[in-house]
Amino acid sequence: MTRPDLEAEGCTTDAGMDAAGTGTAADTPTRHGERIRCHPSIIVERSLSAIVVLAVLTTQLGRGALPAVLAILFIGLALFNYRQWSRTTIQFNERDVVVERNTLFKMKKTLPYAKVASVNVNRGILNRVFGTSRLLVNINSGSGATVPEAVLTFRQDVAEGIRAGMAERLYGHETAPEEEPAEPPVSFSPVDVIVHGLFSVSTYQTVFGFAFLAYSVVQLYVSTVTGAGADGKALVSLLMFFSIQLAPSVSLIFHYYNYRVYRRGDTIYLEHGLVRTYKTSFAVSRINAVRVKRTLAARLLHRSCIEAEVVGLASGSGESLRPVLCLLKDDATQQRLLEELVPEFVDEHARERQPAGARSVLLIRAALASLALVLATAYPSIYLYHETAALTGAAGTVLPYALPLATTAAILAIFYATRVSYRITEFGTGTDLFTFVNGAVDRETVVMNYDKVQMVRITRGPVARVFGVARGKVYLLSAIGGANVSSGYFAGSRLAAVGETVMGRIASGEYDYRKNSI
Amino acid sequence: MSFPGPVSGQTPADGGSPEPGAGAGGYRRLNRKCMLSMYIDYAVWYAVLLVAYILTKTYAEGFLGSYYDLIRYGFLLVLGVALVYIAVAPPVFYARYRYRITEDRVDVRCGVLFIRHTLVPIERVHQVEITRGPINNILGLADVTITTAGGEADIRYLEIDEAETVADRLNNLIGRMLRERMPAAPTPRPGAADE
Repeated sequence: MTRPDLEAEGCTTDAGMDAAGTGTAADTPTRHGERIRCHPSIIVERSLSAIVVLAVLTTQLGRGALPAVLAILFIGLALFNYRQWSRTTIQFNERDVVVERNTLFKMKKTLPYAKVASVNVNRGILNRVFGTSRLLVNINSGSGATVPEAVLTFRQDVAEGIRAGMAERLYGHETAPEEEPAEPPVSFSPVDVIVHGLFSVSTYQTVFGFAFLAYSVVQLYVSTVTGAGADGKALVSLLMFFSIQLAPSVSLIFHYYNYRVYRRGDTIYLEHGLVRTYKTSFAVSRINAVRVKRTLAARLLHRSCIEAEVVGLASGSGESLRPVLCLLKDDATQQRLLEELVPEFVDEHARERQPAGARSVLLIRAALASLALVLATAYPSIYLYHETAALTGAAGTVLPYALPLATTAAILAIFYATRVSYRITEFGTGTDLFTFVNGAVDRETVVMNYDKVQMVRITRGPVARVFGVARGKVYLLSAIGGANVSSGYFAGSRLAAVGETVMGRIASGEYDYRKNSI
Repeated sequence: MSFPGPVSGQTPADGGSPEPGAGAGGYRRLNRKCMLSMYIDYAVWYAVLLVAYILTKTYAEGFLGSYYDLIRYGFLLVLGVALVYIAVAPPVFYARYRYRITEDRVDVRCGVLFIRHTLVPIERVHQVEITRGPINNILGLADVTITTAGGEADIRYLEIDEAETVADRLNNLIGRMLRERMPAAPTPRPGAADE
């Protein structure tokens, strides 16, 4: 790669450094050993939230000497951030990236390329104002999976250049340049993004959200009819609806706006985002499992989405860490995209349904849950009956029996969910992959690779032992560190086959540690 | 260090060789002291529960109002069930606990109500840690925590010597595996020193 020198690229070298420190950021990582600094705009980025807080404090409490104290605080913070920036250097070496901070609390972080899981770029509003990008370097670590190991701000073209150079090292080829965008196998329209935002949220979350909305509407209606003003309960319920249902949906729509996904060689690329834009790439070998998800609403629309379990994609911004390989699309398109993007995770093995013993266990579990529910609601039901029996009109007819009726409805729902769960739960094993299918309401098919399994646990409860079944839990390295995937009730020997296959592949050499090392 | 007798009826499912001194199936059992440790541990928690009950009974009547009797009886029920569990759980836990370390895996079978069988391939082990709480410290027991990238598994209530042996064995197995994976160093040509 040939690149113009540092000043032309808009990066800052550390002039006061040793002989090795006179190079350019943009040449990294092909020209090694040079110490560079991030773009100075990070001083503003880091100070901005403090400015807002201090400005609010000044307007609210701006009397006497307080504004002067706050101004001094702000100047102190800005100087602190300047010092942090000026004394933090990044060095792209032959084998690793070294981030070093020479302040009171010294820090030196060495990230070997061999351990780097992904190098991604994203841009927020401030990045656009300053013409910069955030470069996120993640290693394949379970312990720090939710936070990137290094977040470095460079001018946009410099960040792209560094990313391309590092991608060359990681994936063996450069990332797709802007001029030659790869043709995505499936295109996603804004409607798809909106549908995904609205209907990929868990059904339980939606039910809770709309329950709060309904309560809020009823409260507002009652207050309008009676002429009394709306009390705090209606407002709190409305806020709960916003935070549980509306905010996640809107956030998803913003996050996945302009969504593109494509595969080049063994690397998958994702691009999306409205306010903050994301460019993410990762090697297919980093995928530990693939989840095909169908919420209740999505199933009614005959749609499904695909998520991947990939460690090392943290952006540090608190967004969902699990990369989405396909937004909610019709099932046929989802299946086609799955086959084109990750054919390594297309399971062609047969799946088995739960044995008859599982049905008995599930029914006993449902009966116990129902009994617990009845016991929990018995006393409140009696209390409510005594309190409301004297009421007249519709309230007097309905309220005394409201809780027993709700309990009966809940028990019916428990038994219905049990029946559905028994019917749909599946388990399948193949040569390289195995599959768990779960979920009475929101369905999930998880396809896992034996070589990514970290640990297997099989549990037999007292009732399950009577009926000769067990549940399996497979532990994987996931985007949030560790994660486990549970099976339904199957014969213990069938579930033990997962662990034995993992061991067999290690013993026979089918498992290649070089592809799976973490 | 005392190793109880072989565990009958268990056969290794793999070809890996178990550690020396293990039972017929390659499984080891715990020392009986584990029951004492569990009894002391449970007794401490039961005492806390009992204090909570006494405080509720003495001071909470006005606060709980009509729910007072319900909560008091519920508390008594929990205390009764907990007492039965505390009496029964340690012997059952001891009787069921088995662990086995072979060349390629760690295998733990344990549980009182729910029996868990955990399999950890040595290949996936990242870290081995020995921990001792105050009660185990007094009794000379320790837990070994095996960390993988996806989760943790424990071998609990080992005698300290045994815990050290287990940790050493695991570390040796991991070290050997890593050494085998290192690229072979170039062997010096015969007579190279003379050139």
